[in-house]
Amino acid sequence: MASENNGSRSDSESITAPKADSTVVEPRKIALITGITGQDGSYLTEFLLGKGYEVHGLIRRSSNFNTQRINHIYIDPHNVNKALMKLHYADLTDASSLRRWIDVIKPDEVYNLAAQSHVAVSFEIPDYTADVVATGALRLLEAVRSHTIDSGRTVKYYQAGSSEMFGSTPPPQSETTPFHPRSPYAASKCAAHWYTVNYREAYGLFACNGILFNHESPRRGENFVTRKITRALGRIKVGLQTKLFLGNLQASRDWGFAGDYVEAMWLMLQQEKPDDYVVATEEGHTVEEFLDVSFGYLGLNWKDYVEIDQRYFRPAEVDNLQGDASKAKEVLGWKPQVGFEKLVKMMVDEDLELAKREKVLVDAGYMDAKQQP
Amino acid sequence: MASRSLNGDSDIVKPRKIALVTGITGQDGSYLTEFLLEKGYEVHGLIRRSSNFNTQRLNHIYVDPHNVNKALMKLHYGDLSDASSLRRWLDVIKPDEVYNLAAQSHVAVSFEIPDYTADVVATGALRLLEAVRSHNIDNGRAIKYYQAGSSEMFGSTPPPQSETTPFHPRSPYAASKCAAHWYTVNYREAYGLYACNGILFNHESPRRGENFVTRKITRALGRIKVGLQTKLFLGNIQASRDWGFAGDYVEAMWLMLQQEKPDDYVVATEESHTVKEFLDVSFGYVGLNWKDHVEIDKRYFRPTEVDNLKGDASKAKEMLGWKPKVGFEKLVKMMVDEDLELAKREKVLADAGYMDAQQQP
Repeated sequence: MASENNGSRSDSESITAPKADSTVVEPRKIALITGITGQDGSYLTEFLLGKGYEVHGLIRRSSNFNTQRINHIYIDPHNVNKALMKLHYADLTDASSLRRWIDVIKPDEVYNLAAQSHVAVSFEIPDYTADVVATGALRLLEAVRSHTIDSGRTVKYYQAGSSEMFGSTPPPQSETTPFHPRSPYAASKCAAHWYTVNYREAYGLFACNGILFNHESPRRGENFVTRKITRALGRIKVGLQTKLFLGNLQASRDWGFAGDYVEAMWLMLQQEKPDDYVVATEEGHTVEEFLDVSFGYLGLNWKDYVEIDQRYFRPAEVDNLQGDASKAKEVLGWKPQVGFEKLVKMMVDEDLELAKREKVLVDAGYMDAKQQP
Repeated sequence: MASRSLNGDSDIVKPRKIALVTGITGQDGSYLTEFLLEKGYEVHGLIRRSSNFNTQRLNHIYVDPHNVNKALMKLHYGDLSDASSLRRWLDVIKPDEVYNLAAQSHVAVSFEIPDYTADVVATGALRLLEAVRSHNIDNGRAIKYYQAGSSEMFGSTPPPQSETTPFHPRSPYAASKCAAHWYTVNYREAYGLYACNGILFNHESPRRGENFVTRKITRALGRIKVGLQTKLFLGNIQASRDWGFAGDYVEAMWLMLQQEKPDDYVVATEESHTVKEFLDVSFGYVGLNWKDHVEIDKRYFRPTEVDNLKGDASKAKEMLGWKPKVGFEKLVKMMVDEDLELAKREKVLADAGYMDAQQQP
């Protein structure tokens, strides 16, 4: 899985050598991504490879496969010299591995996308969430800072913030809106935000916070409500499932497409000065609207299938999130490409295909249908 | 353990309240312990294991464990980085009130060891909150929790700073205190835990750690006065702080946990003074001119300065009926008196050859 990158280093160095015709090519930029196996990590990797970057990902060791989202762009380590995407073992709870890989890889840009990012789970394992999300960000910032001092290099740092940080502060929420986090996850993201601001202000580190509003895609984790809906919908459509259990249908979110948002992350690190930006579509939609559009797209009525389960309500609810992304539009020249309805349909299409594949296996007796009560 | 049985004469006595204090060996911990014992509480402190003595501030009220049944103040080993010990002691002690005063509370040090600071200050508070919450659920009890916040959380947000002033922390310590603040608010809002944040502005006393600027000044002043030292090195003498007396502030902490509803409060004198003013009053009190002894050292400036902190404590005054008793000049003199006595004691030892004078260049 993880590979040493010595071959890549020499390969990179040869690229920087002057060509025979004396033209000096710009050296290939190197990016380090934590949380590379997640939704954002996979889209960001594709985006950066498309920009000609060499991409290194830090992944945690897992006895299960955990690279599904990046398998299609990952090259077997046996062809290591050809690969522009490499994976290494590390963890945000381990300062030593962070420092070592930064010193070995010498990245130009670091994107910290790693987190225990599920709100409800953060109420179950608050201690771990704080350690990875908050202190983990601090460990990485400190590793970047000491690397830049020791090597005289400049590394740019991106911190993945979340609209959850605003919590119960009323919308629209912008860069100057005060935080009122409503979960251990959100409070930890606030801490990571302020650690990042502090490292920028105290040490002059090029460090940015991207306060990204909810962003979805076919690669969204299945325990997030949007993907939970489309996943169940696909199975309902092909007859593998009859019920979908949900919590607060009136929760309103500003849902964008993850593939659009990773471009914003990259743009932040290309500016002359580091800063913090809200990234959002500026449209709020309720879970109920998501149900209307998704089930409607397949000609079904969600009321025939959805049941409310109190277990899915949060101890502290976040009712309404809608971002004000005017700063990102003005300064970064960024705007979302994929709108709400297109996003929903994109997700339904993909999950319907996945469900059809499951049905083939079920019909052939290779899989239980996992009927729900 | 404390007796809670009925008296022989059928009189029902009010059960003695039990308090658990983390960070009990610190300045605030020692004053709070004295205050609570005076109120009739049984006080339990969690201390970290250290190969050096670390209970100097408590020795005068601590009773030897051999007389354990008589003691109303007991110490146990625990650490905010260890969830198991927190949970175990809560279950054993069954406190009515928990005061989380533990922290790596030095701002400059937090720039040196940011990781540890975050783990103890931020995640440590979360571990304790979670331990309290699960103890309440398992036992059907209602523990009240106090979280020690800091004016440093306001950082570069201009004064006066109140409960509704947005934070802009300027150090890993301050950012970690912000996280602890929001974890506390979240546990109150999400679980109905009786949990309060006390956003205490700078508070000092003769027991303040010697690496905090106020105590650093009075400690050096005492030694200069008796001839054991000639120079004092300082950083930003224009920094302005709202300095109160720690002994007053612990009363505010206690009052927060006696209200009908949990909430967050700023505790401050509402007066701001610069380090330079502190020098004027302290050196002036013993008839010296600080300019003859103080030198500016760039090493003491922070990577990010916090220039001006001054609290708006109107909510604490209205809701808690709290107000500071010791003013700035009285506080400075109290500290100088104590440190002068300490310096005289050092001089006796130095003159007798038992101590190096530790002359500074």
